[in-house]
Amino acid sequence: MIRRRTAARLALAGLALAPLLLGAGEARADEGDEAATIQLWHAYRGAEEEALQAILEAHRAAGGPPVETLAIPYDAFGSKLGAAIPLGEGPDLYIDSHERLGDYRVRGIVAPVGDAFEGEAAFRSNAVQAVTLDDAIWGLPLSQKCVALYVNQGLLKEVPATLEGFAGLRDTLPEGVFPLAYEAQGAYVHSALLGAFGGSLLGPDDSFGFVGDPAVRSLNLARALIDGGVVPSDADGALVTNLFRGGKAATAISGPWLAADLEGSGIDYRVELLPKVEAADGAPMRPLLTVEAVMLSPEGAKRADVRALARRIAGPEAAALRQERARTLTARADVPLPPGDKLLAAFAAQAEVATPMPSAPAMRATWEPANRAIKAFLRGELDAEAATEGARKRFDDVRRPLPPPASPTPLLIVVGLLLLYGAFSLVRQVRSGELVPALRRSIPAYRYVAHAVITVGLLVILPLVVGAATSLWAGRPETGHYVGLANFVDILTARGGPLLATGSFYVVLLVTLLWTLANVFFHLAIGVSLGLVLSRPTMKLRGLYRVLLIIPWAVPNYVTALAWKGMFHRQFGAVTGLINALNQTFGLSIEPIAWFSHFSTAFTANLATNVWLGFPFMMVVTLGALTSVPGDVLEAAEVDGATRWQRMWQVTLPIIRPTLLPAVTLGAIWTFNMFNVVFLVSGGEPDGTTDILVSEAYRWAFTREAQYGYAAAYAVLIFLMLASVTRLGEWKAGRRAAREAAAARAAQAVEGGGH
Amino acid sequence: MSGSGGGGRQVRAIESIASHLVVLLAVAFALYPVLWVIALAFSGSATPEARVLPIPREPTFDHLWAVISTTREVGDSTQWLFGRQLANSLIVSIATALVGIGIATPTAYALARFNFVGKEGGLRVLLATQMFPAVASAIPLYLLLDFLGLLNSRTGLILCYATTAVPFAIFQLRAAFESIPVDLEEAAMVDGATRFQAFRMVVLPAARPAIAVTALFAFMSAYNEFILAATLLGKEDMFTLPVVLQRFIGEYDAQWEAFAAGALIVSLPVMILFYVLQRHLVAGLTSGGVKG
Amino acid sequence: MVAVSVQQVTKSFGATKVLRGVDVHVPAGGFAVLVGPSGCGKSTLLRLLAGLEEVTSGSIRFGEREVTRLEPRERDIAMVFQSYALYPHLTVRDNLAFGLRLRKTDPAEIGRRVDEAAAMLGLSHLLDRLPKALSGGQRQRVAMGRAIVRRPALFLFDEPLSNLDAALRAQVRVDIRKLHDQLGATSVYVTHDQVEAMTLADVMFVLNGGVVEQQGAPLEVYDAPATRFVAGFLGSPAMNFIKATIEDAGGGGLRARLGDGSANLALPPGLPARPGQAVEVGVRPHDLELCDESAAEIHLKVDFVELLGPEIHAHCVLAGAPVIACLETRTGVSVGDTLPLRVRRLHLFDQESGRALR
Repeated sequence: MIRRRTAARLALAGLALAPLLLGAGEARADEGDEAATIQLWHAYRGAEEEALQAILEAHRAAGGPPVETLAIPYDAFGSKLGAAIPLGEGPDLYIDSHERLGDYRVRGIVAPVGDAFEGEAAFRSNAVQAVTLDDAIWGLPLSQKCVALYVNQGLLKEVPATLEGFAGLRDTLPEGVFPLAYEAQGAYVHSALLGAFGGSLLGPDDSFGFVGDPAVRSLNLARALIDGGVVPSDADGALVTNLFRGGKAATAISGPWLAADLEGSGIDYRVELLPKVEAADGAPMRPLLTVEAVMLSPEGAKRADVRALARRIAGPEAAALRQERARTLTARADVPLPPGDKLLAAFAAQAEVATPMPSAPAMRATWEPANRAIKAFLRGELDAEAATEGARKRFDDVRRPLPPPASPTPLLIVVGLLLLYGAFSLVRQVRSGELVPALRRSIPAYRYVAHAVITVGLLVILPLVVGAATSLWAGRPETGHYVGLANFVDILTARGGPLLATGSFYVVLLVTLLWTLANVFFHLAIGVSLGLVLSRPTMKLRGLYRVLLIIPWAVPNYVTALAWKGMFHRQFGAVTGLINALNQTFGLSIEPIAWFSHFSTAFTANLATNVWLGFPFMMVVTLGALTSVPGDVLEAAEVDGATRWQRMWQVTLPIIRPTLLPAVTLGAIWTFNMFNVVFLVSGGEPDGTTDILVSEAYRWAFTREAQYGYAAAYAVLIFLMLASVTRLGEWKAGRRAAREAAAARAAQAVEGGGH
Repeated sequence: MSGSGGGGRQVRAIESIASHLVVLLAVAFALYPVLWVIALAFSGSATPEARVLPIPREPTFDHLWAVISTTREVGDSTQWLFGRQLANSLIVSIATALVGIGIATPTAYALARFNFVGKEGGLRVLLATQMFPAVASAIPLYLLLDFLGLLNSRTGLILCYATTAVPFAIFQLRAAFESIPVDLEEAAMVDGATRFQAFRMVVLPAARPAIAVTALFAFMSAYNEFILAATLLGKEDMFTLPVVLQRFIGEYDAQWEAFAAGALIVSLPVMILFYVLQRHLVAGLTSGGVKG
Repeated sequence: MVAVSVQQVTKSFGATKVLRGVDVHVPAGGFAVLVGPSGCGKSTLLRLLAGLEEVTSGSIRFGEREVTRLEPRERDIAMVFQSYALYPHLTVRDNLAFGLRLRKTDPAEIGRRVDEAAAMLGLSHLLDRLPKALSGGQRQRVAMGRAIVRRPALFLFDEPLSNLDAALRAQVRVDIRKLHDQLGATSVYVTHDQVEAMTLADVMFVLNGGVVEQQGAPLEVYDAPATRFVAGFLGSPAMNFIKATIEDAGGGGLRARLGDGSANLALPPGLPARPGQAVEVGVRPHDLELCDESAAEIHLKVDFVELLGPEIHAHCVLAGAPVIACLETRTGVSVGDTLPLRVRRLHLFDQESGRALR
């Protein structure tokens, strides 16, 4: 988000349309007041969504104004709110997790709830604490969510009193059943363990908390559980669900969402408090508590009817209805739990032991380093101290102070000089008397291109230029300032760290180059070979083969990426199935590979996916190019005694090369910037090593404190590299073409002379 | 074929078998993930298990049906939400293809046939748009669409998709037009056509395969896109299918079967289009090559 | 049918001058052929007539009408392209009707004219085919038909026969001329093939280097080439050229001392040459005639013989220069013979200017 002040500066920098943007933003904000309908955004699905609709209907029946709701995917919630509310396009109120409040407050998209708050007595103290920032109430607590222990009663009668005690279950449980399933690699659940040791992810004064003794001890305990076969090694949230639902785990640490997934599974389960931890002197595990709250946008907070609606949504009737319909644990103190609902009772008890998640904006920056530290440690790459210290560095890196504001004078001078130079050369060309007639001759052509110039210029090039210009700004959009080339300097000096450390620009560039080269190589090798085979006229069924082989191209690439990610799953992926089958058939004992734990295997997984996506294009281009190979040339080569192999390498391939070259160039550019595959398949795992420049830029923009300027600097660097490489290629091709043209002219001259 | 030796027939047979094997291997590689998705979409049991063969467990149409029959209450009436979203996807994608082709075709023609001031520079800028990662331009684009009042509308989405698809379409079509003999237009002009009539009545029909293929690419780019759609669209009944699919995969409760079922439905129209146009694909893509 | 008048037309592409001031006049109903080697500007001139290129300077008139700046469609012309330029997406019928439809001709009239043209060209059974299903000769006829149905005042042909094989070419050549006589419209025809030029033209324009070297009736040009270039360009095999110096032969006569000086040739009286002048003597192979020893003007030793059936081409050397003589087969000439020959007719060109001396 470029803030208005920023936009005004851009305007100063000579960007013609920026001032218009400014005006538009303000005009829209005025319109917002007139709307009588209330806009409500949420991320609910299923029963929770139905419950919300019922509450809204009741409000409407009681004479409230009409409410329009919008369900938004949880992951997109924050960025969408941040984009929409300042433009007056956003909701009047929305339901979100309390831990985002700090961030929203900094961005100015949330306002104190004012008279919608009934008073502290109505809510549980944990919940009130969660929505309080600087003594003001910023949201009305609806429900509380935290993880607790699910127990499969069919497998287990007595639950061990301590976490360490679970190891004893190994011998009593059937083969292949884990005593406990939880997302060991994620910082969210791990923080319950950390809490038992008295630690927390975010330390005092927004410092990184996942360091020191509690962090080390909690990590060592997690490793002991995994090594002892108590806990599956690389479980993610979805896998925990699957294990427990499939009876492959006697217990599971998970949230209320698991209950919904267990419906109809036939599993007989109950929920209990998380166990105590012996190593922490018997302290209980303390999960993070998330409080779902109704929040008001600054515009919405001004409207009495919006506040009334918020009050109703957070009110006792609504709470009761939600408990009954969606079985969500209310945050109200005055609404009794439904009698006999043991599930809710258990979660209520757990919530009392839970720690509300800090809502400071810095909290968001803890996840990525903490997650990576846990994974790196569990993979055995680093010991606990080194892993957590590394994480702290990474956290500090993201939270580093912004470069100091720079004077915009050099920029203005450069822009001024450029404009002057442009004006000067224009005048010179007009004077020379060539430009005007040339322009006049161009008029018919301009009639054909005008609409493209306008639309592409406006919707593609203008945003690009503005985006590129943001690279000269730094910080969050709300507090950013002009910093000159500081972002570029930061990136190119690896932010003062070692130049060849993971995540430094140069290492990522190297990975990107490797990624691009490997992809282009395999696309070409597979595509061209298949093209050659399929172009043989004697080949039977080639029409059918061709149809089947272009299918990967037709499937949306995010579907592909997710399908491949599933196939590479260590425990349940098809690739593991293949290994199992091999083991069984040939009596081998190949270990299933944890694909995303090592750079080489994770990179291979990405590569396999992208090769799959890209080879049909090359195949089709090859087939097309092959139609331009004259048969008589091949026959001439055959008569000259060339073998098939020689004919392919020395005749066919050189002839189709010029046709393939542009496709290869474009393919290389696309691969260089292939965000979807890297982001969806490996997601940078392990430890960000498989990230390419584009996904790194994405992280800075959207997951690391919204440093758009920094991300834009990455984008500009990517562009500059691609452009210069392409220019170099063009220049070389141009020289070759000029040489050939000269040779052809010479040959013609000789022929003409002999005439 | 190397019919040089006496054992030519045998060599040929072995070659033939070998090439079929190579191709079959490639086909297996190409189809395996697709079959996996299909198997998942029809699987009744959610118990995970590492399996080699993509065969549905406890086959069922439930997921498919559940995805298709998504409805929502609007006031007193029930709206067939999935139908609306499918229609959105199709409308947006078809309009993108039409608008994109509409913008790209005359421009590509001018680039193929005319010399004019700014031609080289324009081509360079078009290529440059392909190199600049969208990460940096997404937010300015959002602001711009808001200024144009096109946020939250299909029109805005269509315009974005279409203009994004235009540069590549121009490269494609320019190459296609360059491969059409100039004689055709000249003949038409001598026959009494204006330049534009010649373009419309002779060049365009002659370039039909290339235009169809380029339109297919534009269609696909719009049909498969979800990041921009998720950001720009703010009403559930305005969503396109990829946005809907995205919602099935949450952090803690991935509904893989529903996702697979949805993916199947989403992929179907593109697959059909590919099948219909695959004959033109080869000619359309390489009538002079993807000129960069 | 209109007269075509091209006055002082020049055409440049950038710095390259393709036409350097051309005058061409074709009477109404005439059949003009523009002929010359590739790059001589003949096709450019035709395209200027069609309006597909704009003249750099000069003017073009069709009859009384100034057309220099008019668009092709405003000129009332039809053109047959070298590549035929058939619209690949239209059937033969629609190809023929295309121009008429553009002019919003009455559909019934279009049908009538298409059928008529198709019948004339023997295309009636092909009307519903697409161009790609036609043979080369059929395509050529469709291209002709497309021109005919328009009934234009002026036909333009751009090497229409160059993509046909030799046998078909000869036949279509005849057809084109017949068609022209039948339709009576003015025609301008571009070719690099001198046989086509000779056989088709009422009036022939030989272009070279962007200027008209000579114009006139084909035979006139053939018999009396104005320049060495025209002389060498027309006729097959090409005219023999031997560098020579004019000498006084005594008795008021002149003779040419040929090549290396080992042979002389007496010149007919009345030629505007002067002793000492450097010239080239041109003799057409068919103008060399076997004769008695007594009447022989030159003697040639045969190096090589090409048998063509009715005649033979004897390759010889005269005063160091290669010379070909076309003789009747029955003369029985063979390699090694020394032939006594009479020159039926000779041409003299100034070496410096290349202009004919006569």
